[in-house]
Amino acid sequence: MSNLYERLGGEAAVNAAVELFYRKVLADGRIARFFDGVDMDQQIAKQKSFLTMAFGGPNNYTGADMRNAHKRLVAQGLNDSHVDAVIENLNYTLRDLGVGEKEVKEVAAIANSVRNDVLNK
Amino acid sequence: MSLLRYEDRPVDIRPGETVLEALLRAGIDAPHSCRAGNCQSCMHRAIDGAPPPESQSGLADAQRAMGYFLPCICRPTTPLTILRPDDLNASLEAIVRAIDPLSEDIIRLRVEADGFAYRPGQFIELSAGEDLRRHYSLASHPEEDPFLEMHIRLHQDGRMSRHLAETLQPGDKVHVAGPSGSCFYEGVNVDQPMLLIGAGTGLAPIYGVLRDALHKGHRGPIRLYHGARSRKGLYLSDELRALSDARDNFNYRPCAFDPSAPHGGDVAATALEAERNIADAAIFLCGGENLVKRLKRELFMRGASLKNIRSDVFTLSG
Ligand SMILES: Cc1cc2nc3c(=O)[nH]c(=O)nc-3n(C[C@H](O)[C@H](O)[C@H](O)COP(=O)(O)OP(=O)(O)OC[C@H]3O[C@@H](n4cnc5c(N)ncnc54)[C@H](O)[C@@H]3O)c2cc1C
Ligand code: HEM
Ligand code: FES
Repeated sequence: MSNLYERLGGEAAVNAAVELFYRKVLADGRIARFFDGVDMDQQIAKQKSFLTMAFGGPNNYTGADMRNAHKRLVAQGLNDSHVDAVIENLNYTLRDLGVGEKEVKEVAAIANSVRNDVLNK
Repeated sequence: MSLLRYEDRPVDIRPGETVLEALLRAGIDAPHSCRAGNCQSCMHRAIDGAPPPESQSGLADAQRAMGYFLPCICRPTTPLTILRPDDLNASLEAIVRAIDPLSEDIIRLRVEADGFAYRPGQFIELSAGEDLRRHYSLASHPEEDPFLEMHIRLHQDGRMSRHLAETLQPGDKVHVAGPSGSCFYEGVNVDQPMLLIGAGTGLAPIYGVLRDALHKGHRGPIRLYHGARSRKGLYLSDELRALSDARDNFNYRPCAFDPSAPHGGDVAATALEAERNIADAAIFLCGGENLVKRLKRELFMRGASLKNIRSDVFTLSG
């Protein structure tokens, strides 16, 4: 059995998902403000990193990297409800792309597994 | 001899090692984050040698064409000289050829800089003295014009623009460095629709891109919107009107602030109203920060791919 990232379609799947996902995030009033102010081209590259990680793909992030990347946001009030919203948008994106429910759950679980690091808890 | 040069010094790189690893091992404080080719925080530019194609994956066509690549996934097999992404090539001397008014508060500056390679629409750093440096976009075409052409707004108390308009004379020397920026035609498909939006002297790069598109035989429809605070600011409108009359695939839409005009003459609102079908278009946006940010976000939300949107923000450095 190949791993999750390969089953989803690897880098091509990330590329197919990234703009869809980013549009949803920017349209979501609960979390859009965290993505303001950062240049959109830079932001989309970070979204790719996020998706690659959540898809179980190759990355070298450590828990400390996740803490650092989101420290600024935690200071702006980032909390559990925002992580839930991001995961929700991730689920919608995958369903739009026709990804099966089993994989959708696996992706959500990986994203959820870094919750405490993201929230600097 | 080492395969890798960073700025002007050789950097040791071991077989199988990535450029990022080599830079870090050499004590160079190179920015990075994911180390997997996704976040783009490690981006550098090759000024000599071709980076392996896989090290440019995920980058926009324009960035690839300029030699940008991701060191964390770059294992070079042929020699490479690299610079940090914002570093410019060495500056060149240029001679002022002409300074002419384009409107009440916009001048056209033409300078001759032998051997300065660029793509129309890119910008340069112009320097006219020790601490007087500003960025200006290029409206000229390297294969059609023997000079670099810039369109420069005269700012009240603007140090550079006033100096250019009031002190500088034909024959004087200035320096140019660069070019930088990804607002250029290369990478656009000849049949792709093009949407060009510029405000004020944001027309300069747009005009350069337009000329290059026509020069290269672009076949898809091209729609150009130019915004200005008043009708007097709609410079080059005679040329653009003539061009739009002469060509089936080019449409020119000037917009000047005017309370009685649709949308008050606001170029962003006018373009957004008219442009509903932009998912496949190559889009160029140039002007002030608010305008560019608003258009970029709106057009993206309506389905344009960020890869197809190229923009320059004319930040004032004063
Ligand atoms: C990528 C890029 C491309 C660009 N391309 C172009 C182009 O093609 N054409 C173009 O016209 N410009 C362009 N610009 C802008 C250009 O680089 C300069 O910023 C602009 O010409 C102003 O320079 P200046 O020396 O005339 O004015 P500055 O002396 O830098 O002053 C800028 C503004 O600040 C005001 N100001 C100055 N001092 C003060 C003060 N003490 N307090 C309050 N206000 C003050 C001035 O009145 C003026 O309005 C570009 C910028 C960028 C970043
Ligand atoms: C659910 C788990 C999450 C994961 C796995 C995750 C992962 C990532 C990754 C990999 C990066 C790139 C870091 C880098 O290379 O610099 C990143 C950056 C970012 N994340 Fe998250 N993230 C999560 C949750 C969130 C949430 C809930 C928000 C806000 C609502 C958020 C907002 C951001 C922003 C704005 C950046 C860019 C930061 C910057 O560039 O300054 N993330 N995230
Ligand atoms: S470190 Fe993220 S792309 Fe190189």
